[in-house]
Amino acid sequence: MESYYEKHESFIDSLFDDFLTRDLPVNICEVLPSDLNTLLSLSIWSRIKGDGSHRQLSSTIKFKIEKSLFHVPTHHCKFIIIERLPSGVFVDPFELEHLLHRAVFSDVAVFGDTHLELPSVLSNISVVEVHKDIGLNILSHNKNLIDFTVDLPLHSRYPRLDESGYVEVRLKAPDLFLQCSIQEKPHNRTCFFRLETDDEEADLTWSIPAGKRSDAGVVSAITFVSALLSSTFSLEPAQEV
Amino acid sequence: MASFSFGSLLILSAIFRFVLILYGEWQDANMEVRYTDVDYIVFSDAASLMASGKSPYLRSTYRYSPLLAFLLIPNTIFHRCWGKFLFSAADLLVGYFIRTILKKRGVPENLCIGSVMVWLFNPFTFTIGTRGNCEPLVCAMVLKILLCLMNGQLLQAAFWYGLVVHFRIYPIIYALPILLILNQNVFKSGLNPALQKWSKGDETAPQSNLPSRLAHIFNPLFLLRSIMTKERIIFGLISGSIFIFCTVVFYYLYGWEFLHEALLYHLTRTDPRHNFSIYFYHIYLHHEHEFSVVEKLISFLPQLVVQLVLVLSFAQDLPFCWFAQTVAFVAFNKVITAQYFVWFFCLLPLILPWSKMKLKWKGVLSVSIWTGAQLHWLMWGYLLEFKGKNVLIQLWIASILFLAANTTALSLIIHQHKPSTLFVLPETAVDNAKKSKKCK
Repeated sequence: MESYYEKHESFIDSLFDDFLTRDLPVNICEVLPSDLNTLLSLSIWSRIKGDGSHRQLSSTIKFKIEKSLFHVPTHHCKFIIIERLPSGVFVDPFELEHLLHRAVFSDVAVFGDTHLELPSVLSNISVVEVHKDIGLNILSHNKNLIDFTVDLPLHSRYPRLDESGYVEVRLKAPDLFLQCSIQEKPHNRTCFFRLETDDEEADLTWSIPAGKRSDAGVVSAITFVSALLSSTFSLEPAQEV
Repeated sequence: MASFSFGSLLILSAIFRFVLILYGEWQDANMEVRYTDVDYIVFSDAASLMASGKSPYLRSTYRYSPLLAFLLIPNTIFHRCWGKFLFSAADLLVGYFIRTILKKRGVPENLCIGSVMVWLFNPFTFTIGTRGNCEPLVCAMVLKILLCLMNGQLLQAAFWYGLVVHFRIYPIIYALPILLILNQNVFKSGLNPALQKWSKGDETAPQSNLPSRLAHIFNPLFLLRSIMTKERIIFGLISGSIFIFCTVVFYYLYGWEFLHEALLYHLTRTDPRHNFSIYFYHIYLHHEHEFSVVEKLISFLPQLVVQLVLVLSFAQDLPFCWFAQTVAFVAFNKVITAQYFVWFFCLLPLILPWSKMKLKWKGVLSVSIWTGAQLHWLMWGYLLEFKGKNVLIQLWIASILFLAANTTALSLIIHQHKPSTLFVLPETAVDNAKKSKKCK
């Protein structure tokens, strides 16, 4: 199966949506019902924690099997959370790798623009895929509530200029998937479901301080005058030597 | 102060650094804010890539020589703290070099110890090595070059100079004063150059004034006869060859990425993100378009003029020249981070014995102005970066005040400095001989 970035060069929301619905083998599973969403209740509560340029996108997921599936063979499931990050923010893939080593996630990957130092105008959208194990035979346990929080460290880029002094970055609700590996003979089978939450999540916003274009003239003039004055002043005693 | 022997000072510093490294491990594991420098994680990742046979430049933001990643390979094999111990050992080595240089220049023991303490117990320096910053390695190489020049070991000095410029580029600013000091009358083959000894009095070494030095250096005959000496050619060839050798080898191994990340990036770096430089906000406000050549030249001009005047004024007083050059280079740079301060902190102890500045009150005033301006900047920086407040204008004004503080401190230091040539210059020797004849 080809990944999105093997098929497309850049990230476009609609193309990515098409990829998730058409290209991925979602909700097709011979062992599990394809209407899995009707058998479970799922809610996600996302918020941005912290202040300043380094924050955490915290997503608390509550997952409950309303009608358990007793006939399913031994299976192991994990949640896959896909966050689409606008160009104003980024995740540091190396920071995530360290979190992976500390077993905060079971797997993680970053796609798209992972250049850490570019300002917003020169950067592009990135996609983060976080995997979180939720355990063995989870679909067989009736009314079992699974509740976990994923904290994703985010960093803001220097935004484009804006006269209001702030630029707002909007983060959409993540795409959620459930991947279950089912033990069967002779081969294990993997099923993949796109999950739907019970409530529609509103976009999260993050205000990032931005420079004002109207400052440019004064700032440039004073900057160069200060450099010239300072160089003259610092050279004065040198000329006396 | 003399009761504190140099050996016990070094042992105490080593224990202190060891404890700080252990504390750093604890803070990293238990507190939200890490003790370890984020660059150390970058170096370690690059070293780990190198250990697995890959290019260290696969680690984004690794912008150093592959030699650094190579030196940190034991981080992946033995322990992640290896690099911190290595950098702290280099930090102690700098202390040892400071003492050796001062002793060779005839500085009394108590002044030597005091000067060494300014390095070993400077909060900037002991935290930088223990947090995993590589600058102590650069400082050690810079002082080794000075020591080699003082010992007349021209080839060794050239080797280390080529290597340090490959490793960190900024010591390229020392090229001109080194070439100027390589006087054929000072460096006689087979003999150690005679060092000008420290003296308590107010007498200063004679030097021609700046206009005559300028006239001298731009005189075509001088250029031909004086500049093209055997010592200068040897130094230039050896150091240049080492630099080119490292560049070619690493280009062969890691290709364009090495050239771009380790060399070109530093030469063309214009960072729109906030830093101590007065240029940061100007760069950010214009980051959506390319800078014109004129704009680039205007911002480079103060740096160039200051460097040239300092070199022509103080080249023969080499440690002081390097110190003044480095302070000015950092102050006028387009990007300034706190780690750059270590570049001149390692040279500060070498000039203190020649300063007329008393700790009370001019010394305290200089330190207070510099530290106060920096703390003021850090306050606005904190509000912007960690509180998300739009204080870009205030932060930029704080950068201008910091430049003013640097300029004031440098100006005070130059005013209070007793010029003393590093080597006994031939003309000085003749003057001294004449003086002693008259006395007879």
